[in-house]
Amino acid sequence: MPKIDVNEARKLAKLSRLEFNEDELTNFVQEFDKTLEYMDTIKKVDTSNVDLHEKTINAKKQLREDAVQESFTQEAIIANAPQSEDGAFAVPITVEEGE
Amino acid sequence: MDYLNMNLWQVRDKLNSGEITSVELTKKCFQRIKDTNDLNALISTCEEFALASAKKIDEARANGAKLGALAGIPIVIKDNINLTGTKTTCASKFLANFVSPYTATCAQKLIDAGAVIIGKANMDEFAMGSSNETSAFGIVHNPVNPNYVPGGSSGGSATSVASNQCFGALGTDTGGSIREPSSFCGIVGLKPTYGRVSRYGVVAFASSLDQVGNLTRSVRDSAIMLGVIAGEDKHDMTSSAKEIPDYEQAITGSVKGLKIGIAKQFFNDKLNSEVRESLDKAIQTYVDNGAEIVNIDLPSLDTALAVYYIISSAEAASNLARFDGVKYGVQAKNFNDIVDLYFKSRTQGFGKEVKRRIMLGNYVLSSGYFDAFYRKAKRVQKVIQKEFEQAFKKCDLIVCPTTANPAFKIGEKSNDHLAMYLTDIFTVPINIAGLPAMSIPCGKNKDGLPIGMQLIAPQWKETTLFNAGDFLEQAIKEGLK
Repeated sequence: MPKIDVNEARKLAKLSRLEFNEDELTNFVQEFDKTLEYMDTIKKVDTSNVDLHEKTINAKKQLREDAVQESFTQEAIIANAPQSEDGAFAVPITVEEGE
Repeated sequence: MDYLNMNLWQVRDKLNSGEITSVELTKKCFQRIKDTNDLNALISTCEEFALASAKKIDEARANGAKLGALAGIPIVIKDNINLTGTKTTCASKFLANFVSPYTATCAQKLIDAGAVIIGKANMDEFAMGSSNETSAFGIVHNPVNPNYVPGGSSGGSATSVASNQCFGALGTDTGGSIREPSSFCGIVGLKPTYGRVSRYGVVAFASSLDQVGNLTRSVRDSAIMLGVIAGEDKHDMTSSAKEIPDYEQAITGSVKGLKIGIAKQFFNDKLNSEVRESLDKAIQTYVDNGAEIVNIDLPSLDTALAVYYIISSAEAASNLARFDGVKYGVQAKNFNDIVDLYFKSRTQGFGKEVKRRIMLGNYVLSSGYFDAFYRKAKRVQKVIQKEFEQAFKKCDLIVCPTTANPAFKIGEKSNDHLAMYLTDIFTVPINIAGLPAMSIPCGKNKDGLPIGMQLIAPQWKETTLFNAGDFLEQAIKEGLK
């Protein structure tokens, strides 16, 4: 039985903020099925005794002081923006007047 | 004298003795880059910056100043590592015009040690790939035979080092992206312990697995470079404060008493016979010189690749959510509203493999599949970590092939993504376990393609890798083939 159908793939694309045409989606579903079948190999490992909250590799408590520090300048950050206005990122109108 | 053919440590001595200046050496590297342009190893070069840095080092040297470990040595960095004022594209159309507003800690450490950064290396898009064929800036060719892939994702770094454009390069390794291309190009590639090198300023792929490392032409060079880039960084909370040993001093010239673990899972019937033969010879060399072979068992090893693709894709999907076409990168031209802008910018900016990983990542994280895939993979990761822990109670080092086969032809696997993923079957378990590992050349097949051997050590024991790696390198030089 296939693990994923075109409708599910379409929903996934929406969640991923990606667009695919129908051919791409069909192709994608076929590929995905193969991949997911391979992923199933992990099911055979017995993990009933695993404690996921056990200390992980190199985990350390290292929180910095919540102090004001020098950071990047506004110009440096905005320099890579495709569109900017008055030192801010420019985006299309998201809230209409009066809304 | 052919300085470009030298190892990093050799050219370091030539610079120290005044036989050649850094400016002269840097110019030779740029000439070499032009002569080997067809390999497409680099996405960009920074000639002006490099020559200015070289001149500064030469002047400091002339004035008798104390110089760093890489003073005046031309180095390349992978194009997912930020360097102020240079383009950092991650080989993606999305970031084709992105200019770094700051410098990554690993790159800054190179600069502080006097290295001359000469260019940014080609790679698979966002480090997702094993052949360097997913780059938006063209495929990279293996310098041993240009019809073959150089491996990936640090394929440009490997090619640059193997074709003598530079004396060492930085790469990143999330599932084998330093070791696999090093193996394919016949050089030394080191993936340090997770946390050994800061990831600050390196564009994130899968944060719990990503590690910066180096690619060089000798093991000693690798030890020198790690000594420079290792260390704690307040900007990366996963970086460790653990003491940094003198890695070059760890090379003793002896492997007497070294316990080498061999796991049957790495030597299965799918292993290429020429690779097996080379490995057998290398292992025999260790035994002949006083090392001891211990059989170890890693029963869940064959599930590591699935675990890797689940965890890394999940993290990639989250990390790449930041690419929205608003803050940086490409922005689509025609869109209806802000959400449409996200959709169109991402669809136009990302390549096929990146999209595939984002989709897979969001699938394993979505409700209904989270427990069966993501949570289960995290659990299996623990099992694999424990198996390595148990194995290292019996040995100091694990030896295995870096890849089951030597480099493959360009285009051979580009239409079969699962076959491509399987290339990394021996390298991904090391990232899953957070261990250090190194690929070193240990022979060639009948077509002259390099064969790589992977050395795996317990956490923080890069010293063992350098000692054992250098030992074999010297033995090969003395005639073991």
